[in-house]
Amino acid sequence: MSEVLLVDSVLLFLVTVCAVAIIEVRSLYAVAMLSSVYSLLMALVWTNMHSMDVAFTEAAVGGGISTILLIGTLVHTRRDERPAKRRLHIPALVVTLLTGAALIYGTFDMPRFGDPNATIHHYRVPEMMSQTVAAASGREGKQQPPEGYDPPPRMTPTAAQWAGAVHAIDQAEDALEKAQQNAPGEAHHGGEGEHHEGAHKHPVDDFNGHVPNSVTSLLAAYRGFDTMFETTVIFTAGMALIMLLRRRREEGEDDFSQKGAALSGQVILRVMTKMFIPFILVFGFYVITHGEIGPGGGFQGGVILATAFILYALLYGRNALYRIIRPRTLEILAACGVLLYAGVGVACMLLGGNFLDYAALNTASPGDGEAMGMTLVEYGVGITVCTVMIIIFNQLAEEPSKAKAS
Amino acid sequence: MTELLGIYNYWIYIILMMIGFYGVIAKKNLVKQAIALGLFQTGIFLFYISMAVVDDGTAPIWTTVGDGAMKALGPYDNPLPHVLILTAIVVSVSVLAVALAIIINIQWAYGTVEYDEITELEREEGDADA
Repeated sequence: MSEVLLVDSVLLFLVTVCAVAIIEVRSLYAVAMLSSVYSLLMALVWTNMHSMDVAFTEAAVGGGISTILLIGTLVHTRRDERPAKRRLHIPALVVTLLTGAALIYGTFDMPRFGDPNATIHHYRVPEMMSQTVAAASGREGKQQPPEGYDPPPRMTPTAAQWAGAVHAIDQAEDALEKAQQNAPGEAHHGGEGEHHEGAHKHPVDDFNGHVPNSVTSLLAAYRGFDTMFETTVIFTAGMALIMLLRRRREEGEDDFSQKGAALSGQVILRVMTKMFIPFILVFGFYVITHGEIGPGGGFQGGVILATAFILYALLYGRNALYRIIRPRTLEILAACGVLLYAGVGVACMLLGGNFLDYAALNTASPGDGEAMGMTLVEYGVGITVCTVMIIIFNQLAEEPSKAKAS
Repeated sequence: MTELLGIYNYWIYIILMMIGFYGVIAKKNLVKQAIALGLFQTGIFLFYISMAVVDDGTAPIWTTVGDGAMKALGPYDNPLPHVLILTAIVVSVSVLAVALAIIINIQWAYGTVEYDEITELEREEGDADA
């Protein structure tokens, strides 16, 4: 039994207990906090399964923003769930048990947890990463898998094979370095190291640019269109909130000054927050910019940036936030993020590539072009996510008294 | 035992999903239903991420060698499900936000967010009209 599975079973047990508590507890404030705990536990589960980017997103979105949104809603609605006549809803229980039993019957056909030969792993990651828009159009560039690269049938070799392959590559690199020292300028990289008997090593080749985080690489290139429209979905959600809750804002447009923040009397909180905000902002920008190198990216960084603004609004009141950044500016920026993403795609087209074919941005060094395009796209996502989260918070946190008046 | 542990994750995903499903059907409070829908979603996320795991794998982040070329350090988990779920989480918070906005609108219109109270109010209105 591996360590992953051991930690996994403990964490997932806690997650399940937490889920039952979320459904059964009647105080909705407690439920909001429990759902935050649930998300943080889930983030630990994702980290345990080496899914760093997802853990990052879950911690920022589930643990942070969702809780704030829920509490913002509870200000308007009743704080407790009305007690049900019967504790257990029998028809619902029967339906869920039947569905669950059918699904569990299905799991017996699933491949074992962590099975390297599972169907999902047959499609090798380097092949996916080489399938960018440029590869589809048959254009030369770093998107093409290297000469003589023979896709093996399985993704993951055994640990012993890996050790052999890594050793072989080290040796090949040493030899290459010596060759480079002997004949500077002539030696070029890649190709030599990857073929070792019985081992399937990813070729030493940067055919998707200088983007070591393959999650970001797939996000922005292989699934570039999808990510663009996911960003549009978030933008649409922000617009939907403005339309759903606009009514009050028109009435109280000039009322910002009257809204005091409940926490403004807390001196310690105010001073500490003021000290924290610059660091939160720097961290947010770091996460967006380093999205291609390590865990992170536009979605996570955008949410982190938004928390800085939301924290400020919580402590100093939303009128203070509106003095920094007006609602209109937020709406325009949200649209600008999506435009930046699509604009990068159009810029690639103008430079002779296809839509979102980042290699066209720097024909001299397609790898750098890829990295640059992905960073720009991540910033587009980050701006939209950040501003839409602030918009959503602002809309949900409107004064409830005004709602009743309307 | 090992056989069972091999599909343990899939069972937990089903259990989480069914807890969420139960909440959506059984609970009358609309806020609670929105949260239960979130539980249902995380169940599916767990399913996807569990499928991505490879024995002895690491995070799908490569390292650069020499002049910027990249290589993996060893077996790594499949990044494609990670990408799918990463965007799905952010979309799920958008869904939650829109749901909560609609719930607030319902609160203004009916003064309650309990499903059966709303139906009762509707029925009374219908009677008054008739």
